[in-house]
Amino acid sequence: MPAKALVNPAHGPGSTCIAFSRDGLRVYTGGADTLVRIWDTQLGEDQEPPVAMEASEEVTTISAGLDCWVSGSKDSDVRRYEHAKPNLQGLVANAAGVPIRCVTIDPKGKRVAVTSDEPIVKVVSLDDITQTIKLEGHSKAVRKATWHPSGALLTTCGADGKIIVWDLSGAEAKQEKVIEGVLPTVADAEAPEFAYDCSAVWHTSGQYFFVATRTHEIATISTTDWSKSSTLSDDACTGDITALALSNNGVYLAAASKSGIFIWATQNRRMLFRYQGAIHAPITQMAFSPAKNMLAWTDAAGDLTRWLDPIPSSSPDPVKPSIGSGSVTISTKRKGTPTLFDDDNVDNARPTTDKPVTTEDLDGDLGIDLDNDDWILDDLGDGMDDDGEAKRLAAEGGIREMVSVTKAQPPFQPGSTPMEKKKRYLAYNMIGVIEVTDQDTHHIVNVEFHDRSTRKSYHFTDHFRYDLASLGERGALYACQPEAEHTAHIIYKPYGTWASQSEWTYEMPKGTRVLGIAAGGPPPSKSLREKSDVDIGGQGNVVVATSDGELVFLTGSGIERACLSLPGDFVTMVAGSEWVFVVTRDGSTTMDGSQNLTGRLIKFDDFCILQKDALPVPKRHTLQWVGITEEGAPAIYDSSGVLHIMPRFRIPLSATWVRTLDTNKLERREGKDESYWPVGVAGDAFMCLILKGRQEYPGFPRPLIQELPIRLPFKRTDPKEGPLEEHFARESILLDILRDGLGDELTTDDIAARELALDKELIQLIQQACKTDRLARALDLTRLLHLTPSFDMAIKVAGFYHLIGLQEKMEALKAEREVEDRLENLRERRRGLVDDFAPVPAMRLPTVGESSRPKAFQDFRPPPALHRPGLERATPVVDARTQDSQMTDDSTMYSGSFADGTQENDFSYGSPGGKRKRLLEDEPTRSNSSDADLGAKRRALGEPASKPAVPQARSNPFARKPGADNNGRNPFARGADARQSVHKSESFFTKVDAAEAEKGKRPAQSKPKPKEKKDAGKQTTLFGLLPPQPADKKAASRSKKKAGSPTDDSQEFAASKHNGVQPESQTDTVMDETQESGDTQIDEPSPVAPETETQETTVMEAEDPESPIEWPPSPEPQKRTVEVTG
Amino acid sequence: MALPPSLRTSITPLELELVASEQLVEIVPLVSMERTAFISGAYGPLRPPTKCKVPLWMASNLKLKKKCHIVPPAWLNVDFLQERLLRETTDPSFSEMPFRFAEVAKILLDVASDDLQNPDRIRTLLKDIREARQAKSREGLSKLDHNELMLPNLCAMEINEIRPFFVRGMNVLTQLTREGTQADAMDMS
Repeated sequence: MPAKALVNPAHGPGSTCIAFSRDGLRVYTGGADTLVRIWDTQLGEDQEPPVAMEASEEVTTISAGLDCWVSGSKDSDVRRYEHAKPNLQGLVANAAGVPIRCVTIDPKGKRVAVTSDEPIVKVVSLDDITQTIKLEGHSKAVRKATWHPSGALLTTCGADGKIIVWDLSGAEAKQEKVIEGVLPTVADAEAPEFAYDCSAVWHTSGQYFFVATRTHEIATISTTDWSKSSTLSDDACTGDITALALSNNGVYLAAASKSGIFIWATQNRRMLFRYQGAIHAPITQMAFSPAKNMLAWTDAAGDLTRWLDPIPSSSPDPVKPSIGSGSVTISTKRKGTPTLFDDDNVDNARPTTDKPVTTEDLDGDLGIDLDNDDWILDDLGDGMDDDGEAKRLAAEGGIREMVSVTKAQPPFQPGSTPMEKKKRYLAYNMIGVIEVTDQDTHHIVNVEFHDRSTRKSYHFTDHFRYDLASLGERGALYACQPEAEHTAHIIYKPYGTWASQSEWTYEMPKGTRVLGIAAGGPPPSKSLREKSDVDIGGQGNVVVATSDGELVFLTGSGIERACLSLPGDFVTMVAGSEWVFVVTRDGSTTMDGSQNLTGRLIKFDDFCILQKDALPVPKRHTLQWVGITEEGAPAIYDSSGVLHIMPRFRIPLSATWVRTLDTNKLERREGKDESYWPVGVAGDAFMCLILKGRQEYPGFPRPLIQELPIRLPFKRTDPKEGPLEEHFARESILLDILRDGLGDELTTDDIAARELALDKELIQLIQQACKTDRLARALDLTRLLHLTPSFDMAIKVAGFYHLIGLQEKMEALKAEREVEDRLENLRERRRGLVDDFAPVPAMRLPTVGESSRPKAFQDFRPPPALHRPGLERATPVVDARTQDSQMTDDSTMYSGSFADGTQENDFSYGSPGGKRKRLLEDEPTRSNSSDADLGAKRRALGEPASKPAVPQARSNPFARKPGADNNGRNPFARGADARQSVHKSESFFTKVDAAEAEKGKRPAQSKPKPKEKKDAGKQTTLFGLLPPQPADKKAASRSKKKAGSPTDDSQEFAASKHNGVQPESQTDTVMDETQESGDTQIDEPSPVAPETETQETTVMEAEDPESPIEWPPSPEPQKRTVEVTG
Repeated sequence: MALPPSLRTSITPLELELVASEQLVEIVPLVSMERTAFISGAYGPLRPPTKCKVPLWMASNLKLKKKCHIVPPAWLNVDFLQERLLRETTDPSFSEMPFRFAEVAKILLDVASDDLQNPDRIRTLLKDIREARQAKSREGLSKLDHNELMLPNLCAMEINEIRPFFVRGMNVLTQLTREGTQADAMDMS
């Protein structure tokens, strides 16, 4: 884009004004230095313009007529000068001692409108200055006046905020219309706003005029109903509009604001070009040259700037009425006849009443203009350009132009706003807010989180002017653009503080700009504020899009992982926990106004595309926001006010965009002028900031986040069924997201609860359907039910309405459902896609030492049932079961597995309840097993790795007990151990253990016997019922008791290996007991292989006589058991 | 309690405030918390920035610890109060206000004035409304009847304010009328 500009210091600082002579050869400028300079547009910067110095105070306004020009000054005089020369011809008008604000000569050059600080506007005939019309209607000073191209209407803009349209076609002036509420009210004449050009700029067609509104937009107000018909606004153009100018043929409108000078196409109200140079002072007036492709302006610093060729040669010329409409008009223009109002001259020739006709003419002109473009494009499209290279070039120019007509949306960062009043938001999402305050030399960045308990707010001074930022779950990412002394870089600040030096920067090569950044990561499992929290989830992921067309992936700790190429122009992106959602423009915008955006989900783990789909942004609308819902689905919001969500994003490449909320149809929107600035989507709520009126961005102080309920745009308006159906569909979407993330699990509590709630609603709908006799509907609804019990409900409902047929069909459905488990079906479906299209299960965080128990007062489960053994009914032991367990024991014996196997097996059968409910009373019988327990402990302590097999076999604490005894397993058995170990000095026994192990491991089986005996002896001591004999044994080798059993076991294993006997010695002893104590298990031995029996007895010969002796006296409870069993 | 006798007959404004503290109010929490059981019920979960309804006592407690922003109720803004004041001054009957508006407004103005828009103006408007309503109830005194008193839309604080005097007044009136009828009866006989 050409930005060739000629700058001349013309006047001192202060308000300035500018006007082109009608032939376009001269520029008149006036300023605070009381002078008017007359510049030659043909000459460059080095010229000494003639000066008109009659005014005694600031020159506030200049207007050029056919053969003269007039100036107004604060000395309240309006002076008339000779055309293009500083020769005073006389005074035209004066005001009563107040500054003149505006003079304008009408298109015919006959009359001049004079406004001043008086509320009265004077229209003076230039030929006879005594012919004056006074227009009264304003209540304050009148700042600007402009003529309709026909000269029949005059618009005046007052400091009171009114625009008054006067009809001056007749002899009497009358008010055509007073337009209020468009212009700002500026009471103070010294305020800088007062000097801005607020004039109503008529389009050459005369059908509408442009005016800069108080909301910093350019409004077009049409003559048909005098209301705002459309607005011109663009993200880039911010702040007060200080000046407006229309090109000679009405194709272009130039607007100056603090952010720059922009040129718009009036036809489609799109911004086309922008002045590339810097703007140092507010521009106070601006004008297109009537003869050349030139835009000139003066600013508050007093400089005159002439921008040569503001319109590129590829676009329609700003001077000629059209390209196609012959050279005749152009030649007439070139002849130097005043061409600015060339068309209006035609107008004037006709009576003003047939204005419509003339406007049609003009429209026709413009129409041809556009047809031309179309033609060029058609030409290209058909490939029929056989006119050679020149034409092709022209065609290419045409394409470029058309592309610029559908303006491509620039890259943006979701949740950021432009700098306004030295403040802006860099990011605003569901995690927090990053605010930036401009302090001229540096920025202050302030980061605040919604949840202060999880992350700590902070702020820092920023010398790099970070202009992009992203707030992720695990850290905040900032990026700055290259400036003179430094290249672009990004900086990542993780929130967690457990690792020092966690912050890192990543430099870009010279000249590369950062277009967009995103920080993602799994949500923290707990507060990131505490130092002690070592969250092993990492610091998330970082994605950077650069102007080199790269998409760089880094981990949260700064490891570069991948560098992909962007498939098109980058637009925006947002990162979730597992993927980044990148929006690009593949190719260019289309002719018909579509932005042509494509969204891709790229996974962090393997950089593969999870989803790729065009974004459903309507034509002529832009993407406004992208985000991620609480459930993790990508969401977009466009300027048409529609929210889309992609719920099934986990099914690769086949998810769809679901239209979730149309904000235009919200109830609260009725009769209100407001828009919504999205922040996030959480469950059923669309979180947004509500902007009033024409506001485009949230301002400061930070507004509260509002929650709008999400409603699918369903069209059914039935008051009862409509909402239920909508809710069902909405919940189903959420459930789908959750279910897709399940992976191999069947369901979760949350999902089950939600399904139940949905089923309740469905039942309501079924009831409605039954009531109104819509049976097919009822059946369809039944099919949607989730849980099998709900079918019964549906059947009941059908029964209530005596719909037998329906009931039967429902039962059939239920039977069908019962056959195939729905949840498993769903899982199958998930699995079935595994080969090619596996839904990606949700990432699962390792839970580090987190108790699943909820905190106090947050547990809403029913209290645990109290176990009162004393109140419980004693249930008799089922014999068969004991036998069963025995059976398994025995059968496993032959399988030759470890004791462990049998024990576990046994355990599975021997639930404590199987024997008896009064568990505590069983405890004494436990003594045997407890001993084994103890032995295991010892082993763990004393013999580290000497006998690998045994500890392994005993590793399961539950396995031991059942192996040791069959008559009832008691979970409290271990308690007995504890008691025992209290009695005995551990150190002593461990030592003995060690000693024993050294010796006793290898030695033959002779040893186990005495040990076993001792075991028994000790147990009896436990109950204090030691018969004399055991006492002796105990005295003999008490120390070996502990070590005894393990060694014993091992030896037994050894024995089993040798003899094919299972290590059932203990069991056998127990069996012995049981046999002794009661006849219940008389037939028990039969399943046991006789050999084993005998072998066992041989092994334990010494023991056998004792244990029978020992056991009978031992605890009464056992006896009782037996009695009961018996 | 060593209260002056005039106050002993009715509850104190502070007690009314306490009663009003059970009313639910919306907050934007700044900390997260699971659903928690209190004696009056279970509230939460708090999930910033999602709004949540909690009793006023909890809201003010959290607010004082800077752990939430209170979302002012729909009636606690300048526009609404202005409109009510206008109605109050033009219409002879009491306009409809939330039953415990005075208490809730006082708590919110005390605790969370930074969450309200233009709290000073709200304060003066509330004062004006209160005065307008007080004037009406004073006016109502002249129409006091011995057996019934109907004042629709009177709010808790106002009832509390007028109760001791009105009850006594009505008692006296009852006495007088009864005496009057008795005297009449005597005369008749």
